[in-house]
Amino acid sequence: MNAQSSQQQPNDGRHDDDAALTDFLASLMDYTPTIPDELVEHYLAKSGFQCPDVRLTRLVAVATQKFIADVATDALQYCKARQSAVVKDKRDKQQKDKRLILTMEDLSKALQEYGVNVKHQDYFADSPSAGLDPVARDE
Amino acid sequence: MSDEGGKASVGFLNEKESVQTKKKNKKLGIDDFSEAIARIAVAQVCESLGFQSFQQCALNTLSDVGVRYIREVGRTANFYANLANRNEGNVFDVIQGLEDLDSIQGFSGGSDSSHCLSGSAVVRDIIRFIGEVEEIPFVYSIPRFPVVKERKLNPIFKQTGESPPEEHIPDWLPKFPDPETCKDLIMGNEKELGTGINNIIQQVEEQNKKFEMPLLNMQQKLIFNQFEKGVAVEPEDAAKAQKAAESNPFLAHPLQFGEKEVSLPVLPTKLYDEAAGSHQNHIVMDNHVSAIEQSVHITEAAWSSPSELKGVRRNILLNGRHNVQFKFESSRKSVGMPIGHQTADTEKIALWFGDDHDEKDETKRTSKQILYENGENMQEVAHL
Repeated sequence: MNAQSSQQQPNDGRHDDDAALTDFLASLMDYTPTIPDELVEHYLAKSGFQCPDVRLTRLVAVATQKFIADVATDALQYCKARQSAVVKDKRDKQQKDKRLILTMEDLSKALQEYGVNVKHQDYFADSPSAGLDPVARDE
Repeated sequence: MSDEGGKASVGFLNEKESVQTKKKNKKLGIDDFSEAIARIAVAQVCESLGFQSFQQCALNTLSDVGVRYIREVGRTANFYANLANRNEGNVFDVIQGLEDLDSIQGFSGGSDSSHCLSGSAVVRDIIRFIGEVEEIPFVYSIPRFPVVKERKLNPIFKQTGESPPEEHIPDWLPKFPDPETCKDLIMGNEKELGTGINNIIQQVEEQNKKFEMPLLNMQQKLIFNQFEKGVAVEPEDAAKAQKAAESNPFLAHPLQFGEKEVSLPVLPTKLYDEAAGSHQNHIVMDNHVSAIEQSVHITEAAWSSPSELKGVRRNILLNGRHNVQFKFESSRKSVGMPIGHQTADTEKIALWFGDDHDEKDETKRTSKQILYENGENMQEVAHL
């Protein structure tokens, strides 16, 4: 009995999980992800993933949207943190810097937590001696 | 959402970036369409979160990362499907792929290797995400891409019932194109060649002042060949050709043999004696002899060093008439002509020394001499 009951519980648990999954996949058809299906299908086909089921492409699209949303949220938090640090000095800037801009700096910090290392050049110079002191340039 | 110029970038680079982006827009890559769509989708996602504007490069980076995410999920899902001896992907393959990518951040139950996939934390996170975030559909409706065009294959011999013209050609090969279509192509090519040559010759006229003689020589030959072939030019083209010929002496019809009386040139006696011995007659320009000094010593120097003549371009006498030589000159320095030789009937050979020229010689050149040489070239051009 005990063994049966113990077996039943995991079975019920799995059944619940399966049910949840099937319900979820069914509900995916109602939800339209921001990333269009054609784009996801194109890139999945490029990587060799064959699947005639539309629900799977929707699943991948939703997962990608979630991933991008997570990265963007982290970048937004970095941006807000930087703005609040600046605002502490002068209250006037709070009204000017209300604009939240997605910058490379915030993005690279956010992506680093996800294992993507993006390093961005701040500026490009046209010659090695650009920006140096005139004395050093002559040398 | 507006597009910020990029506060971190240097001011003067903005112009360059805009020019570069314009150039990039002209060159269409294979993935440009899908990348553009990805950028729009990512921008929509960012806007829904609260971003009001973005840096262009930041958006490009994020959309590129998103695309890579999709490709990585597809690749991993395909791998797991193949591992399980299947061609087509399964929902569990996709979940495993998502788990692999999310393992960097970590999710609950990730350390448990034998956990059930349907109850995976990744799926639960996604379900919660859908519940929280409002639905934002993509702004544009895009067609299925890439578009596959149906190829229209050329018919083979067997299909049309024709037998191949030659025995060695099997009948399963495609048919030969009609000879009439080929003729049009050839005619079209020649016409294009003609117009191309006209353009080039007009440019050459402008460059005549710079005396680029090799180009002129080649164009002359091309025109010669074109007119010699007797191309059946349409009346429109003939009128155009005539108009062009009137304005441009180089486009005039070449003179046939015997049309115009030309006097035979007379060689100076000294050269004539040497020419009688060999059919090669030339004057060598020595590198180290400056143009001013050479007038007297040229001929002596030439005949005294026959070994140097091997590298020299030689002209073969035909019908006893000396060929007119063209001087090869660069825009700035000329190889240098002997001051003493003024007549056009004497043979001259100019060598293309280029960098071998001694720098000391250049300083010895006077502006007067260069002007004189340029004047000589004008005479030669007029004789063509």
